[in-house]
Amino acid sequence: MARILVVDDAAFMRKMVSDALTRGGHEVVGEAGNGLEAVARFQELKPEVTTLDITMPEKDGIAALREIIELDPTARVIMCSALGQESKVLESIKLGAKDFVVKPFQPARVLEAIGKALG
Amino acid sequence: MTEADPLIRLGESTCEAISGVLEMFAPGKIHAGELTVVTADRNPMESLAVPAVATSVSYINGVTGANVFVMTLEGARKLATAMMGMEEPEDPNAPELSELELSAVSEAMNQMMASAAMAISSVLGTEVEIGTPETKIFADASEALDVYPRTPHAVRAAFSVCGEPCRLVQLVPNAFVVRMTRALDELGSELAPPAEAAAGPVAARPGSVPVAGRPSRAGIPVRVWAELGRTRMPSAQVVGMPPGAVVELNQTADEPIDLYVNGTRFATGRLMVVDGNDWAVRIETVLSSSDTTNESQLEVARWPESW
Repeated sequence: MARILVVDDAAFMRKMVSDALTRGGHEVVGEAGNGLEAVARFQELKPEVTTLDITMPEKDGIAALREIIELDPTARVIMCSALGQESKVLESIKLGAKDFVVKPFQPARVLEAIGKALG
Repeated sequence: MTEADPLIRLGESTCEAISGVLEMFAPGKIHAGELTVVTADRNPMESLAVPAVATSVSYINGVTGANVFVMTLEGARKLATAMMGMEEPEDPNAPELSELELSAVSEAMNQMMASAAMAISSVLGTEVEIGTPETKIFADASEALDVYPRTPHAVRAAFSVCGEPCRLVQLVPNAFVVRMTRALDELGSELAPPAEAAAGPVAARPGSVPVAGRPSRAGIPVRVWAELGRTRMPSAQVVGMPPGAVVELNQTADEPIDLYVNGTRFATGRLMVVDGNDWAVRIETVLSSSDTTNESQLEVARWPESW
């Protein structure tokens, strides 16, 4: 059980991820719809894990990740990306993301990534 | 190669990619229909069934152009319902889509186009990135005619999603056709089998792999590769792996290896050496199409670097 911040520009994806996490026994403490909001909510809520979409308006997931890691180098961030964004996924792992999940995904895969990030 | 060939190839790659994604959202409810190269005197957006929900995604680098996927409002609602794991829409008679339904459709489009961009980048040999999706609602068919920039080329493909008519429109600039033609030419010469190999035991010769589907596909080069095994590990471990590290794979040395055609597991066979030093695969079993699951396609599609 962890306190989790869910970031995705699509309300539908936020709902899917949040539902999966809640059913897996976690607490979704907040949601954000772009990178700017993500950084602000991260500072405010101090979640144990953050799931971060890569392609978003305003500020994308990579830029948000960079700022989150600067704020807290121990932050546990899991990237969510669609197919075909491998170079960005690798970049985010180098920047300090703990894992990544490729969309479309099964709820079990998200929970597995959270479990590993906490482990 | 005619001018239409790269366009057809582009259309087919895109249709396959988006069918694969749609099929995961609404299993058994997706059918791909006719693919048409639109001539310059026709508008690819003409005669849409309305009310329609159209989502467009542009490529942002590597390739210019855009894809527009148009669904009837009813089709969009049924797809959104399936994506949420529900049997019936929350409000089947609502005149408009709810915010969540619109978001689901937009996300489906995002994932469809990401998959299509990946398929296209594998042909072009360069990474193709996409922008964020933009969704528009058309109450009248005439509204759709001038919304999107006209390009010198366009391809349209019919789909049925949950029994509703849908249309993919690809808006293709000249530069794209030139690059696609060049890439296909290179691919063709790279994969053309040498004449003397025809009599050998090498069954995995790319030029000889039968391609299922319409006859027009028979001459299209496909990518064929053999897989010895795979494994999963935390990504952080991959990034930090030093030279000399040993990665264990899931297959034992005496098991057959898998042969993939354009991302689909196609056959199993034995690794062998021909002419003293060339690797080859002797096919043991050709898999039926029911064995080639979406899952295996996606698993392989996620391994991008060499393709």
